[in-house]
Amino acid sequence: MTYTTKELIAAFIARDLQDGENVVVGANLPVPRAGVLLAHLHHGPNMTIGLSATQTNLLKEPVLQPFKYNRDFRAARWAESYMQHHETFDSPKLMSDVFFVGGIQIDQFGNSNLIGVGTDYRRLRFRGPGAIGTTTMTTYTKRYHLYLNSHDPRVLVERCDFITAFGWGRGGADARTKLGLPGGGPKYCITPLCVFDFEEETKRMRLRSVHPGVTVEEVLARTGFAPIIAPRVPETEAPNADEMEILRQRVDVEGVLRS
Amino acid sequence: MTGERRSRIVDEIQAAARVTDGMAIVIGGHIMSSHPMAVIRQIIKQGTKNLTVIGAASAGLEVDLLVGAGCARRVITPYVGGEALAPIGPFYQAAVQRGEIEVWECDEGIYYTALRAAALKLPFLPTLSGLGTSLPEVNPDLRLFNDPITGRPLVAVPPLQPDVALIHAAVADAYGNVQFVGSGMGDRAHHRAAVTTIVTVERVVPNEEIRKNPLATAVWNVDAVVRAPYGSHPYQSPGFYLHDEDHLNEYLRAARAAVQGDRRPFAEYLDRYILGPANHAEYLQTVGFPRILSLHEV
Repeated sequence: MTYTTKELIAAFIARDLQDGENVVVGANLPVPRAGVLLAHLHHGPNMTIGLSATQTNLLKEPVLQPFKYNRDFRAARWAESYMQHHETFDSPKLMSDVFFVGGIQIDQFGNSNLIGVGTDYRRLRFRGPGAIGTTTMTTYTKRYHLYLNSHDPRVLVERCDFITAFGWGRGGADARTKLGLPGGGPKYCITPLCVFDFEEETKRMRLRSVHPGVTVEEVLARTGFAPIIAPRVPETEAPNADEMEILRQRVDVEGVLRS
Repeated sequence: MTGERRSRIVDEIQAAARVTDGMAIVIGGHIMSSHPMAVIRQIIKQGTKNLTVIGAASAGLEVDLLVGAGCARRVITPYVGGEALAPIGPFYQAAVQRGEIEVWECDEGIYYTALRAAALKLPFLPTLSGLGTSLPEVNPDLRLFNDPITGRPLVAVPPLQPDVALIHAAVADAYGNVQFVGSGMGDRAHHRAAVTTIVTVERVVPNEEIRKNPLATAVWNVDAVVRAPYGSHPYQSPGFYLHDEDHLNEYLRAARAAVQGDRRPFAEYLDRYILGPANHAEYLQTVGFPRILSLHEV
């Protein structure tokens, strides 16, 4: 069966999610959205799905229509409960167990930056959109994945100009507990070329797998730091027929992941 | 001794007049939904300057519009943008890069912590959010300190008190009982922190309607209620209408031209939609009912 890289990544994200987890789906990240919904329909019948300030279970919905914007009220047709936005921050129980974080810069220890690029904060060369909820969500969430739509040495940098979400700081397995951060930290960094994880001792990024057709050399050429490379780097596991059927028939009927 | 229960209904012009130069305002809603645009447009029209604009967490392009129209001196919100339409507001981005406005850097958790500190009249509230990040460096109001109980580091978040909270909701009665369709986003937090609250609503309903379902009353005892059907246009209003993508793209084209140096399309946008119309009804007439009525849920 043929599949696109986006479908491959959605299946990778889905396999990391476990039944019973509470996961929020954003609107502007179609691939993580598909991964979460695939996990729910494939092996997570007791997952809680957060969607447009509501929580629900979508097992009995034949087709999950996508929404373009985060707060589209049409998603409320499925709601079992509402979430007041400020209330989200009152307890990690109300936050997503797994969270997806982008960045205009991400460094080798998984710290991420949404403020901007430049050495002088008062005169940024490029102003980013802002931290959104990433600082607090990554403080508490059980684990999170850094997620990038493009694999670029200007984004994957040795050191971020600013940090809005603390990953593993300057490295070390105790980097987060030393600061008293309760959350589990970043687990994967997922790009259109590959998946990085974090080496257990140093918490530096390690090339975990390359997507089919991508070489290790290509990843290195397009990464602004030197990740840890195992002697043999496997391919990212392909989606199976069951996963592809759910993706195409129920989660992504409009084919956003095929475009 | 008897008295009359007083109506709190004002029009959008009277409501906006309560916002004066140099105030801090907080604007409700969330990115593409539920912004009190009838009052925002009037604030621009009356020429209010030097505002501290506390956008929603996260804010949409209404904050960008206030920056572009020259009303904002300082912006406080962890996001300004239009999602897939505009990852970041053009005026906001350009004004920050040029050092024309100040930013109070935060994330959503820190933002609500600051509003809660204001509501409780506290000098600060502690948080774990921001430890190890650049936020305490780029926002000197956020102070690292050691917790007196365990000695561990924490971040002290000072209060952010808006003079006026501007909220858009589904319905209210004349006495300031407000009900949303849906969650109400973070608007309860805005009301609790602000000195006064003004709410624009799709419909003003009789007090009897409110009493049918008091559990739905999310915010009560607000200071002013503004009758503003389609008052969140060009943003969504849950249960009433969807966002107007064509209008937002018209705004974005004008904003992008302006930051490139050609301010004429934005001047035309302001004239057509904000400075020209005498009030909210004339704004709706300018947008046109075929367009307005096409924004229904499908």
